[in-house]
Amino acid sequence: MFARRFLVSFPIFLVVYVIQETIVSQFRIFGSGFSLFLIFALLWSALGTPELGALTGFGAGLLMDLSQSSSGPVGQWTLIMILAGFSISYLGYGDDNFRGNPISLVVIVALAVPITRFIYLILGLMFGGELGSALHIFTSLIASGLWTVAIVPLLMPLVTRIHSGLFEDMSRG
Amino acid sequence: MRNGGDNRGRLLFISLIVTSLFLITLDLRGVQVLGGLRNGTQTALSPLQSVAATVFRPVGNFFSDVTHLGRTRGEIEKLKASNEKLRQSLINRKNADAELAQLKSVLDLAGTAKYKVVGAKVISLGSTSSFTQTISIDAGTNNGVRQNMTVITGLGLVGVVKISYPDSALVQLTTDPAFRVGARVAGTQQIGILSGQGTNKGVLQLLDNRTTLKVGDVILARGSQNNRPFVPGVPIGEVSKVDNAAGAITQTADVKLYVNFSALSVVAVVIGAPQADPRDALVPKAPVPTPIPTVTIYAKPSESPTP
Repeated sequence: MFARRFLVSFPIFLVVYVIQETIVSQFRIFGSGFSLFLIFALLWSALGTPELGALTGFGAGLLMDLSQSSSGPVGQWTLIMILAGFSISYLGYGDDNFRGNPISLVVIVALAVPITRFIYLILGLMFGGELGSALHIFTSLIASGLWTVAIVPLLMPLVTRIHSGLFEDMSRG
Repeated sequence: MRNGGDNRGRLLFISLIVTSLFLITLDLRGVQVLGGLRNGTQTALSPLQSVAATVFRPVGNFFSDVTHLGRTRGEIEKLKASNEKLRQSLINRKNADAELAQLKSVLDLAGTAKYKVVGAKVISLGSTSSFTQTISIDAGTNNGVRQNMTVITGLGLVGVVKISYPDSALVQLTTDPAFRVGARVAGTQQIGILSGQGTNKGVLQLLDNRTTLKVGDVILARGSQNNRPFVPGVPIGEVSKVDNAAGAITQTADVKLYVNFSALSVVAVVIGAPQADPRDALVPKAPVPTPIPTVTIYAKPSESPTP
C-alpha cells in the first residue's frame, strides 16, 4: 500500500522538482530565495501518516540529492528528509484539529523549512563542508521561513486537494 | 508512534534510514554509480534549464534589481541621466546587447592577458536549499571545459569549474563559503589566501606578518601550478576594510569583489593560459576625475558716478 502510494505520488514530485530546477532556480531574490520543492515535500508529508511522511521524505530527499547543485554526498538530503517528513507528519497525526487548521499547517511548515536546512548545514559540517558567514546563514534561514509563510497558503489548496483526492480515492478503491 | 506505531511502520522507518546511510557511505567511498545518476539528472535537465533561462531570466533580473535597490540607489541616479538616451536604441535588443557587452568585456580581459577562453551563458543560479553558491553554464566537456578551470567575466574572477558535464558545467562561485584562492596584492606583490563568505565580500588573509594592506589595494589571483584551477593575474576585488586587530598573527582584510554575482549572464571559461604571467596588466584602471572648469571673472571697478 505504501509503495503504491509512493509510486502514485512520484510523478507529482517529479514535476515540482523539474519546476524547481529549471524555473525557480532562475530567480535570485532576498535571502537566497526559497525552495519550492522542499516546501512542497514538507507540506505533503504534513498531510499524511508518519510512515508515509518518512517515505515521502525518502523520495524527495533522493531527488534533492540528485540535483547538480547539491553540495553534500548522495544520501545527505535523503537522511534529513526522512527525519523531517516523519517528524512533521508525526506532530499532527491523529489530531484533526491541528491538521484541519490551515494556520497550524503554515506555521509548522514555516518552522520545518529553516530547521531542515539548519540540520543539513550541521550534517554538512560533519562531512567536511564549509560554514561561511554567520550573518548570511542567519539571514538565509530566517528568509526561507518568511518565504515559506508566503508560499504555503498559495500551495495549500492545490496540495490538499491533490493529496485528499489521491489517497481518499485509493482508500475507497 | 502515537496511533500508527505498528512494527511494520518502525521497520519501514529504520529501513529508510539505513538505506540513506548506505547511500552516504557509497558516495563518500566514491562509487561511480551515484555520481552517474547526478550526471544523468543534469544532462536531462540542462536543455530545460536553457529554455527556462531564456524565458524567465528577465523576470529573475527584475526581482534581483528590486532586491538590490538600496545598494544601488546611488548608481540609479547616475544611470537615470543616461537611461533616456539608451532607451530607444536598447528597446528591441536589450537582453542581447547586454549579453554582447558582457561577452565583449570578458574577451577584452582575456585578450589583454592572452587567455584562451570559451564563452558560456548562465543557465541556472544554483541551489536555493543548500548554502553553496554555484551557477550552471551551457558549456561543457564538448566545448573543452574541464574540472578546475578558471571562470571569469569582464570584471574579474567568477569562480572555478567544479563539475563538467557534456553540455553544461557547474561553477563554484567566489562567494561560496568553501571557495579559496591564492591571491596577491597588485603592486606590492604581497600574497595571501582569499576565502568566500557567502556575500559579495571575501576575506583576505596575508601569509606574511611583516606586510600591511591598505584600503583600495587591488587583489589579483596568484595562479596555480599548471594554471589550474586558477590562471594568474585575474582581478578579484579591492580591499574595502583592513582588520588591524592587536595580537593577530597575520593581517586580514575584507575584499569587495568586482563581479556582480546577482547579474551574471555571460561568462568565459579559461581553457588555455598564456606562457607568461600577465602580472598587473589586468588591474582595472582607476577612474579619471572629470576636470571641473574654473571660471575667472575679472571685475573692473566702474568709474565713480558723478554727483
